[in-house]
Amino acid sequence: MTEVTRFTHGSRIPGWDDAADLRKAPAGVPDPAQVHVPEELRAEIEAKMAAYPEEQSALIPALHAAQKVHGWCSPEAIEQVACVMRITPGQAAAVATFYDMFETKPVGRQTIYVCTNISCSLRGGDQILTAMKEAAGDDPDFNIRGFECLGACDMAPMASVNGDFVGPLEDSDCRTIVDNIKAGNEALAAKSLKVRPCADEAGKAAGGSE
Amino acid sequence: MPRPEENIITLTVDGRDIQAVDGAMLVDAAAGGDIEIPVFCYEPKLGGPVGACRMCLVEIEGIPKLQTACSTPVKDGMVVHTQTDRVKEAQNSVVEFILLNHPLDCPVCDKGGECPLQDVSFGYGRGVSRFTEPKRHFVKPLALSPLIAIDRERCILCYRCVRFSQEISEDHQLVLLERGAATFVSTFDGHPYVAPFSGNIIELCPVGALTSRAYRFRARPWDIEGSGTVCNLCPAQCNVTLTVRDDRVLRVLARDNEGVDDGWLCDKGRFAYQATHSDERITQPLVRDGDRLRPATWERAIQVASGVARHDGAVGAIVGGETTNEEALLLGNYLRNTLGSNDIDSRDGGALSAGLLRALADPKIQATVPDLEYAHTVLLLDVDPVDDAPVLDLRIRKGARRNDMQVLVASSRPTALDPRAAQAVRHAPGSAASMVLALDAALNGDGAAGTHAANAGADGAEVRALVEALEQSGEDIVIVVGERVTDGPAGEAAGQALLRIAAKLGLGERDGAGILEIPRGTNGRGLREVGAVPTAGPGLADLATAGRSSTEIATAAAAGDITALWLVHTDPVRDSQNKDLWIKAIAKAGLVIAHASTLSPELAEHANVVFPAESGAEREGTITHPDGRVQRLRKAIGAPEQVKPAGAVIARIAEIGSSVDLGASVGPAATEAVARAVPFYEHLTAEEIGGRGIRWQEREAAANLQPGSSTGETVAPQPAASPNGALRLGTFRSIWASPEVEISPALKFLSRTPSAELSPEDAQRLGVTNGNSVEVAGVSATARIRSDVPTGNVFIESGVAGGASLPADGELVEVKPR
Amino acid sequence: MSAILFDRIDEPGLADISVYEKRGGYEALRNALKQPREGLVEELKSSGLRGRGGAGFPLGMKASFIPGGDMDKYLVCNADESEPGTFKDRELMQKNPHQLIEGMIIAAYIVGANRSFIYIRGEYELPADVLDEAIAQAKAAGFLGENILGSDFSIDLVLHRGAGAYICGEETGLLDSLEGKRGNPRLKPPFPANQGLFQGPTLINNVETLSTIPAIIKMGGAEYAKLGVENSAGTKLVSVSGNVQRPGNYEIELGMKSRDIIYGLAGGPEPGREVKFWFPGGSSSPVLTAADLDLPYDFDSLAKAQSMLGSGAIIVVDDSNSVVDVAVKLASFYKHESCGKCTPCREGTSWTVKMLQRIQAGEATPMDLDIIASVQEQIIGNCLCVLGDAMAMPVSSMVNKFRGEFEEHIEKAREAAGLGLTPPVTPDEPVLTLN
Repeated sequence: MTEVTRFTHGSRIPGWDDAADLRKAPAGVPDPAQVHVPEELRAEIEAKMAAYPEEQSALIPALHAAQKVHGWCSPEAIEQVACVMRITPGQAAAVATFYDMFETKPVGRQTIYVCTNISCSLRGGDQILTAMKEAAGDDPDFNIRGFECLGACDMAPMASVNGDFVGPLEDSDCRTIVDNIKAGNEALAAKSLKVRPCADEAGKAAGGSE
Repeated sequence: MPRPEENIITLTVDGRDIQAVDGAMLVDAAAGGDIEIPVFCYEPKLGGPVGACRMCLVEIEGIPKLQTACSTPVKDGMVVHTQTDRVKEAQNSVVEFILLNHPLDCPVCDKGGECPLQDVSFGYGRGVSRFTEPKRHFVKPLALSPLIAIDRERCILCYRCVRFSQEISEDHQLVLLERGAATFVSTFDGHPYVAPFSGNIIELCPVGALTSRAYRFRARPWDIEGSGTVCNLCPAQCNVTLTVRDDRVLRVLARDNEGVDDGWLCDKGRFAYQATHSDERITQPLVRDGDRLRPATWERAIQVASGVARHDGAVGAIVGGETTNEEALLLGNYLRNTLGSNDIDSRDGGALSAGLLRALADPKIQATVPDLEYAHTVLLLDVDPVDDAPVLDLRIRKGARRNDMQVLVASSRPTALDPRAAQAVRHAPGSAASMVLALDAALNGDGAAGTHAANAGADGAEVRALVEALEQSGEDIVIVVGERVTDGPAGEAAGQALLRIAAKLGLGERDGAGILEIPRGTNGRGLREVGAVPTAGPGLADLATAGRSSTEIATAAAAGDITALWLVHTDPVRDSQNKDLWIKAIAKAGLVIAHASTLSPELAEHANVVFPAESGAEREGTITHPDGRVQRLRKAIGAPEQVKPAGAVIARIAEIGSSVDLGASVGPAATEAVARAVPFYEHLTAEEIGGRGIRWQEREAAANLQPGSSTGETVAPQPAASPNGALRLGTFRSIWASPEVEISPALKFLSRTPSAELSPEDAQRLGVTNGNSVEVAGVSATARIRSDVPTGNVFIESGVAGGASLPADGELVEVKPR
Repeated sequence: MSAILFDRIDEPGLADISVYEKRGGYEALRNALKQPREGLVEELKSSGLRGRGGAGFPLGMKASFIPGGDMDKYLVCNADESEPGTFKDRELMQKNPHQLIEGMIIAAYIVGANRSFIYIRGEYELPADVLDEAIAQAKAAGFLGENILGSDFSIDLVLHRGAGAYICGEETGLLDSLEGKRGNPRLKPPFPANQGLFQGPTLINNVETLSTIPAIIKMGGAEYAKLGVENSAGTKLVSVSGNVQRPGNYEIELGMKSRDIIYGLAGGPEPGREVKFWFPGGSSSPVLTAADLDLPYDFDSLAKAQSMLGSGAIIVVDDSNSVVDVAVKLASFYKHESCGKCTPCREGTSWTVKMLQRIQAGEATPMDLDIIASVQEQIIGNCLCVLGDAMAMPVSSMVNKFRGEFEEHIEKAREAAGLGLTPPVTPDEPVLTLN
């Protein structure tokens, strides 16, 4: 960043206080001759592009793929996506920063979203977030985020551990989840969405009028 | 493509009957009836409405919710209310919302006094806010580019700037990042927003969020005056309003002319006004004194220059693109009628016969700028609008985006419009003539098409596919032709082929079809029409004896056959590819007269007398747009004391040197002289040209153009060289390669350095990586590896300060890493 | 009532095409392909099925809006399910994916769409993986692809994973997102039926809606319409969450008494607790109170009570919770999810959150409640899409219905914050974080 010799108020939105770096070249569509893209990533993005009537539709899938490779949507990742899709990195960045699941800062690879929206917070979701952060401590491998409703309020309070929905959680589960992930195991098999039955029948049997 | 028909309907707004075009947006329809509906995000130039700011909510009978007037097409019988309590409440609310976080720093804001937000807040706001929270504050202003400062506090997220980047210039560099209230305008990873048209976002911004770094804090709206004129920096000739304060130009704004620029400007046009007030500009007459030029009195300078009369019959004149019709006519008259020379030229690529020039000027086959938007197909022939006439690039994009116009490209170097093109066919540099012959042959079913394509170094199948696309594209075809196409000995043949193509495609039979030739110089078309070419007199009239073309003049001067060179608004050492020849020519000539604002070191070394040239803002006269629109340059500011109109200087030289009176040299009388000299400009007056210009083809006098057909010698083009390990040389001139850019402080950062564009294959073979220094034909340049450059070619940028002499396009050169 | 969508939902292996076919799956498709499209549209119309995504627009009518002609047409399944409290589509996709796929193929056949997409929220990895597998199976079995089942109808289906944005549940925001852009809603008109995905006519419906189609084709529209009550035909999946003992998805017949859902099926709040208020149709529906528990759960009854059925997500809040906290949570969510495109939503949600946070922190006065209420009025109906309304309506309902509690909280919190009872209107320093 160039030195900005202006008064500062201390804003709190990342990016708002950043000037352009005037030493950089303008960011047009990256020339394939100048950007290296890992072969597998290129193939995956190209396959996605072929799946849609208009190639730009593949942008979100492409960013998912690049994030998987790079761990986050780094400038390098975005440039690679833009290069393969023949768009500007600006277009890709505009989309990447719009969606919550794209990480625009370097983060740990183990991603845990803890739902803190209404239904979960009514059942202690905020507390689970704190507990989860405590359980992971300062391990840089973990990326723990409070998240908006994940669509699993029946399991509230719940979390998505690398995409695996688990709940209802108690404080003590957080430690187990972190340990399991560190050991390379499933997050919390017994409380996973995979094994959760539908409430319908049980509800109707227990007290439903029908 | 036929332009949409307009059906007039009647609607009622606030009890008043208003006539409007059916389907027009309610905001515009109401404005037509003098009813203002406030807007921020609405800007029809940017494409469809987005309905984001919600400022224009109105009540429409029969619809329960308030509607955005910017996005509601009017229908017959619609009843609209814009003054009800409900509407006022909504307007108050939106203003209150917008001002929540907008800092009220109007006293120190550049936009203050000409700010739509101020006006709308005053007109439609509640006057008080119930927002007691602290406003958001950010570091400000920040550099968005060397030209533009961004103040994110002030941004009201109307999307205009990013829509410009996405939908008009299509550079997609300026984007919105983040979401919701955190959304902000920015670029990828802190890269500056540098693009040919970036400055337009300053004018689009309805608040003071995007400001010109060159204009910031230079004036307040009540200090300034606007002065309309025409930008004379390139053939696009955009209409501009100069912001003048105390006789200095402080800013350039677009002056929307649908027939020319559609309201946009390139950054060169917007910021190069600074050259007017640059310290590096020549502002007094200079006369050679021994080995250097020294300031001299006007008397002395005129006296030296009037020595030209002693070079009777051996005077050559080169007229630069910025020269007005009036200046060129005066010079041509003096040369031909008094000095006995026909050696005057305004083209760099050789002469075409007067008959061919007349045939090409046939009003029937002329395309207009708006045709570029409504045609079925636009074919670009060895021209890249973004460099050659920038604003036309936007017009073609508009046609492609909004009207599904087909874009076809046949060029040696990849163009900026390639990504928009249905097909882009490459030919060898310098082989445009063969390409045109191939297209002609393929269109007319001539068996030689394959041979011509091979001669052009193009793929025969691709050429056939291009021709098929042309044939199937609908009737309205516009062919945009670069001046390069008719360069060189084969130019005459290429011109004839163009005429055959036009005839075959029936371009003369339709209003929306035709040819648009983009000359290299701003006033290339006008200069030709007033006779600043060796083969034709004023009005493209045949000459008894043709003169010599610019290259021939240089050769003759270098050989001592021409002893006096008169260079009006041109520096051939800089502008010509064959610099060495020109250096020899000016060194050898006994008298070199130059009218200039800046000089290359070589010209400074050899010129005998230099007259300071008026800048665009100081000049008066007419210039002719590539589509035939005669436009007026109007004086916005007084020139520095020692700068005089070139016309007056030429007339004075003739008077002192030859005792002849050339007649009116400046002002409306000079324009009338042009109208008398050029039959198809007959009776044209400054008044008739007015602020918008007028296409001469649309006046009665157009019938005075004598029909013509090519009478020149037809030389077949040379087949393109096969690279065989070496590379074919191509050149291009960027819009930034001009002295105005170099001496305007704001634009200096865009000054070009020599670069060499290579294909990845050639680069690998030669062991060159991106950014390496390479040597091309003995010239050093920075390698740029582009995957769209065809293998076997290398493209060198021309017109660069300090650039070296280059062989002609198409010749083989050695490229070596350094 | 026998379950329709949740019929033997936990049957082992149901996600596998063989199990699905064994219980009669894809028969409706085979039948439909033999019938003319017009007749099928009539079946949809006579079924009375209203869209299950939130807006409740009749499916048959929506399908009939799709113009005829040769242009490319699209079918999009909205599986973004981002409305807080809603998780019914997740269960349908995860456990019975072929029901959705079959419904989509039939819908695509009816409107003449040859390309279809499921836009599933990116967080739903398990259901997405299940669907990916199911789509592959359906392709292999010839239900998807060129000239399916020997007919002249071709259909392609692509599963598109989103990346976390509530606004992509709004149909036009979803379309922009599916086109690879920021998920900003578009101006309407044009409506998706005329100019939707890639500017082509597009039918866009929710997972539950599309999953119901096979049953309608099987039993006939008229028979389906017998379920439920007037204007609210059929069964509905209801997601019950919050302070209830058995949170989860239940399939009910529309018109069932709300109390029976909350207390009967979901078990009601923990013993000793009472329902304080409840969101009947997702977090964007105006709240109802315990007094409204006897309302029949259907479109009209809830609308009459100034709320809405929305996505069918009931969030129960018991009397242990402060309405202020819930309001802050809710408004913060919508502020976070506002796309930022239109002014009232972008600025209004931020402003509302700031005011509510001040109330929470004891820095507000009762006058702020009037401003909050007025700001909500300024938002409702003035935005580009309904996200602004989605915050303004429930916030407004909470402030109106619990004004006493808000005022009491303001007084107590002021005291706790040491501000006394004299209200300083403007704090000198920013004390709240923006993000």
